[in-house]
Amino acid sequence: MASSLAAESRAASSRDPRPRGRSLWPAATLAAALIALPFAGNDFIAYQVALFLIYGIATQGVALCWGRLGFLPLGHSLFFGLGAYIAGGAAKAGAAQPLWWLAFPLALLLPALLAWVVARLIFARSMRSGPYFSLITLAMTMLGFLAAQQWSSITGGFNGMGNIPEPPGLERYSTLYWLVAAAAVASTATLGVLVGRPLGVLWRAIAQNEERMQLFGYATDHVKANAYAFSALLAAGAGALFATHQGIVTPQAMSFVLATEFVIWAAVGGKASPLGALLGAVVVGYASAELRDHFAMWEVFVGLLFIAVVRFLPDGIAGLAGLAGFGGKPARRNANVAITPLPAPPSSAPKQVPALVFDDVRSTQGGVRILDGLSFRLAGPGIRAVIGPNGAGKTSAFNVLTGRLPVTGGHIQVGGRDVTGWTAWRVARLGVGRKMQVPSVFADLSVRENLSVALWAGRLHGRAALRRAPQAWCTPLLEEMLGCFPELAASLDVPASRLSQGHRQALEFVMTVLPEPHLLLLDEPCAGLSPAETQRMIQVIVRAVRRLGAGALLIEHDLAAVAALDGEVYVLHQGRMLAQGSLQDLQADPAVRAVYAGARK
Amino acid sequence: MDGGTLLHALNLVYELSTLALTTLGLAVVFGLLGVMNMAHGEFVMIGAYSVVAVQQWGLPTLAAFPLAIAVCAALGWVVERWLIRPLYRRPFDTLLATWALAMLMRKVVEAIWGKGFRNVDDALTVAVPIGNTSYPAYRLGLIALTIVLLAALVFWYRRSSAGLRVRAMTGNPMLAQALGIDTQRLASRTFIVGVVLAGAAGVMLAPLIRIEPGIGVDYLLDAFFVLVVGGLGTLGGLAGGVGVIGGSQALVSSLFGQTSGYAVVLVISILFLWLKPDGIFARR
Repeated sequence: MASSLAAESRAASSRDPRPRGRSLWPAATLAAALIALPFAGNDFIAYQVALFLIYGIATQGVALCWGRLGFLPLGHSLFFGLGAYIAGGAAKAGAAQPLWWLAFPLALLLPALLAWVVARLIFARSMRSGPYFSLITLAMTMLGFLAAQQWSSITGGFNGMGNIPEPPGLERYSTLYWLVAAAAVASTATLGVLVGRPLGVLWRAIAQNEERMQLFGYATDHVKANAYAFSALLAAGAGALFATHQGIVTPQAMSFVLATEFVIWAAVGGKASPLGALLGAVVVGYASAELRDHFAMWEVFVGLLFIAVVRFLPDGIAGLAGLAGFGGKPARRNANVAITPLPAPPSSAPKQVPALVFDDVRSTQGGVRILDGLSFRLAGPGIRAVIGPNGAGKTSAFNVLTGRLPVTGGHIQVGGRDVTGWTAWRVARLGVGRKMQVPSVFADLSVRENLSVALWAGRLHGRAALRRAPQAWCTPLLEEMLGCFPELAASLDVPASRLSQGHRQALEFVMTVLPEPHLLLLDEPCAGLSPAETQRMIQVIVRAVRRLGAGALLIEHDLAAVAALDGEVYVLHQGRMLAQGSLQDLQADPAVRAVYAGARK
Repeated sequence: MDGGTLLHALNLVYELSTLALTTLGLAVVFGLLGVMNMAHGEFVMIGAYSVVAVQQWGLPTLAAFPLAIAVCAALGWVVERWLIRPLYRRPFDTLLATWALAMLMRKVVEAIWGKGFRNVDDALTVAVPIGNTSYPAYRLGLIALTIVLLAALVFWYRRSSAGLRVRAMTGNPMLAQALGIDTQRLASRTFIVGVVLAGAAGVMLAPLIRIEPGIGVDYLLDAFFVLVVGGLGTLGGLAGGVGVIGGSQALVSSLFGQTSGYAVVLVISILFLWLKPDGIFARR
């Protein structure tokens, strides 16, 4: 197994000898094609293609949110239209008084700001806003359309805002093409670079497993809102180009129909590929404009194509053509980057064990008392085993701490701060790491990317997310852990979905300790492991916890493993603390024996 | 009660009834199956066009009912089997696939009947005297039929064993399967019931509206908003949603005009989607 994985890794490397330039070559190809177009065709064709390049830039924004972040904006024409109206207004004012051209950037910034505010408000409320977010964006676009039609003193109403002048020094039917082409190349290049950088990996990780990201302390709602604002910026920029290119902006630029077309183009072209999304808009859009009037069935054909793509080609034509490799498979591309490891900066997690206090914590759901006055305090390093029969509230105790279950009474403190009702990422930033009962990893990311995402938690600040260096970061703990689990070291470039249950347990444990939290919540890390694997896992856990100087709560059913830990043991029963002490004392405790009688032979 | 007030009240009841009528189908498909059927409005549209078709062929208008039911049921079966079933638990893909389906249905209808508006001959134009005023018989019939349909649906859901199985399936599909419920077939049937209800609503509305291929979107969004505001899977939710959406639209429209009424509906829906996505009468 290990040798074949190594062979695959080598093969991937030989296929891809120059990882550095790879993220830019789609943009370079595009640039060459766009430069050739006016010479191969004529100015009129270039003028027409420019319109669909403009739509394509907005489509790239949709594809970014949907293909990378995993949420679908159904109303991106709102930002397109806003950008178009503001740019049109600024240009018209600028024709009279050139200073007004300074207001032109607002056409990009205001829609982006609106998108950011809306997304922050929505995403902060719920991780699972999914389709509802889509419907909200749709409803907002329809509101915008109504406003554009009604507010005719500004927008010109149904007839539109006309006579928008060209930008100074550019001629609409000839030279403006070059501005549009440059914008399309720039957005393709920017997106191509971004998806290969740490930020792009974080985006995909959020799309796959947002909860896991929050448990690492990533404020996923912020990341999503920023990405949405960036995609709105692209749409608004496209709208601004549209205004100068067409010379008129009507409410159609803000319509539900246009928003729909962005989604269709992104789906058909390839939502995971910036170039695919752009070409989807250019090819499908241009072909529709040409053929719509000649073939009555053309749009029926587009509808069928769209259905077929949604059903059978999740990555669109680009996925079919392997173009998604432009950014779709960074696992392979990054294979070489880690050749020279760089020392990672220190984690920003607190450096001592945060005291954990449960004070009469209660949690009730649907009339069932899950936690019924659980109280304990934990301070200082060392592993405490948590045992108790099924339904005792062991996992639930972790869940109320990481915001997964509502606390209906009592208080939880971490490091002296009341964290009752906090979201998972805020708790994680106090130095709390959690391993889930069912191993929770990023299935479609490579093992290396999984480890990187964990390592970056608390370390990736500011612009580091846009640099290449963090992909080579390494810490002594990571090396030590990979030494303990050689099977992970051998499968660094394999998607985590291909790992066995045991290897996934190992991967998730390593990921949990990489941000160097000082309070570890380990939920049955040995579930599904063989006795030998269990023994090794316990040894590694002890070693890692000692190395970090961390405190840990470890839920475990296997009393042999609990005995091996040789630390304090908490016994939970019916949502309360039944007893705590050393395993020998507890085994003599009549109350504990009563709970376990019958359960143990 | 004087004639004017009575007329207003009847108009309000009529508007709420049409809203409930066009929402019923989606209440079944989205509320019970959890499928965001973006083609819901297009099934209403198909229903309306089946009236156009039977009148073109010189058949009695009532023949539109069996036609719409047959077409919607057949289409529903095919769609559920080939489009929805492979995409269960992938909400975005379901949403997109049904959206693509909606587009396709629009375009096919457009290719057959063209983009223009169509009107169908009114069947029951007589007015029935009520109190000091009179009201179109067709509208009164529509109100009555809506109530009957609602009652039948509730009866089916609450009393019949099929309803029980559907509830079991929505509650816990795996367990339902383990108990020997053929969830695939049940889901298929439930979907068909939903789209047939939408088609029947289209037939009934046909004489009252201007029929064109693009009418589906408005029915779809109104139905979604009703369900989101009211909450899924309960009659109380449906009634509450119809009351809030239909009521506020009627009120604001009569005060500030139709556009404002529509804008208010959009704003209310956005607020609910954002702050209370489980609706007023959440199932849980």
